[in-house]
Amino acid sequence: MDLRRLLRKAVLQAALGLLGAMVLWPPAVPAQEEVTSSIRRYKQRELSTGYYEEYEVKPRRQRPRVRAPEVIRQFTPVTPYRPGAAMGAGVRSRLEDSHAGIQFYEQRRCEECHVTEATHSRTVRGNLTCRQCHGGEPIAGINYYYSPMNPIRRHAYVCAKCHEGASVSFATYLVHEPKAGDPATRKTFASLYYANWFMYLLIVGTLGFFILHTLFWMGRETYHAIREKRKPEPREEAPPQEPQNE
Amino acid sequence: MNDPVRIVRFSIFDRLFHVFIMVTFLIQAVTGMGRLLYTTAWGKGVVNLFGGYDGATAVHNTVGILMLIGFVIHIVYVLAKVEWKSWRRSLFDADSLLPRRRDVVHLGQKIRWFFGLGPPPAFDRWTYWEKFDYWAVFWGLPLLAVTGLPLMFPLAASRIMPGWVLNVFVLLHRAEALLAMLYIFIIHFTIGHFRRGMFPMNECMFAGSVELEKERKEKPLWIARLQEEGRLEEVMVAGPPRWYRVIYFVFGYSAVVVGLYLLLNLLIYRSYIEWH
Repeated sequence: MDLRRLLRKAVLQAALGLLGAMVLWPPAVPAQEEVTSSIRRYKQRELSTGYYEEYEVKPRRQRPRVRAPEVIRQFTPVTPYRPGAAMGAGVRSRLEDSHAGIQFYEQRRCEECHVTEATHSRTVRGNLTCRQCHGGEPIAGINYYYSPMNPIRRHAYVCAKCHEGASVSFATYLVHEPKAGDPATRKTFASLYYANWFMYLLIVGTLGFFILHTLFWMGRETYHAIREKRKPEPREEAPPQEPQNE
Repeated sequence: MNDPVRIVRFSIFDRLFHVFIMVTFLIQAVTGMGRLLYTTAWGKGVVNLFGGYDGATAVHNTVGILMLIGFVIHIVYVLAKVEWKSWRRSLFDADSLLPRRRDVVHLGQKIRWFFGLGPPPAFDRWTYWEKFDYWAVFWGLPLLAVTGLPLMFPLAASRIMPGWVLNVFVLLHRAEALLAMLYIFIIHFTIGHFRRGMFPMNECMFAGSVELEKERKEKPLWIARLQEEGRLEEVMVAGPPRWYRVIYFVFGYSAVVVGLYLLLNLLIYRSYIEWH
């Protein structure tokens, strides 16, 4: 009798415990962790092999020649990011999960929202993927204190993965560089902005002057050649000396 | 058959330096432009000639260092050529490439001549545009080296300068290289070779000598000076042999074709050029 009561009590307690565990245990989040991991589970593969795959951004080697970033945005069926409803971008850069609260996040690719970042030179030429620097989910904002991308440790945690011996100075190289010709760059990266203007004026000035110089020169020479042909007298003086049509 | 009288204009060293800069410049132009336009199918095709992006970069870096060595040798050569005992005369006389006040006067006279307002300027040995050609390369090369070397060794460079300087250096390197290519492929080719009277080819940089009678018209003061100093007979030489002319015609025209091909693609793909 005692044994049976004891057994019933044990089963009841185990069931209650299991129920409690089921409630309190963090729920399994299938796709939040990785965009395409439900099929390929490539994060594990990345971690175990050290190989990164290319499908956070569309394959760049086969990227079509004619691209229109605006159009890509236009054909996006939904607008998951609603700045009015969520926090502003400035705050997001300090979040532990910088994409928190964005709808349909797990179905999206990085470059669908970060259009220009995916075309920057380290992505296109250095063959870097987003995650190689920004890490796996949840992607912390670059100013989040514990983020590997935080400038206080970026050189050691991110850059040095490939560039052995990277320093703080090295890490100040801007991978996502602003457009040098953009007026906003005057405030964000003044030396780049003014270097751009300097080279622009130098190129336009030099080429403009010398192309006009060459064109006028050839025109004048042609003019003399035609005049020479028209009058067949043998020339007495050096021929270029003659134009005096004032 | 009476060959025209020819006089020396460029020494063998001058010509070797020119051939050296031609070859290295074109290699840099091809490997640089292929990578600049890497986002286009054309750029990928060019880069693949060198075994991909990294291969093209390796060639570009190696040839860049070669150019730098050539530039240092050139400076040593130039310094050795100056007669330091009479340096003031040696540096500033008409045989020197240093700019003089008269070059500005010549430019003004030339522009007046364009509009029929005066006679053309009487040049001495070097015209102002020839001097500009020389000095454009002379200051362009160090700029490309100063911006290119840190990009070649970014880790070492970021020890002596902030890393963001490399962002600016990429821009300067690209813009200066584009300026150099456009200048050479448009202006240098046209003034040197395609102009009436020069076409099909201005041979003096390869042959080393020029026809006296032609030069009497183009650079009268130079010839007059040579006659006055009684050195005209001294500098007379035989013309280049036929086989040599064939070689440099083929070589020169290959360079022109490569240059114009690059220029054409630069124009076609201009919207894909990233300035930074």
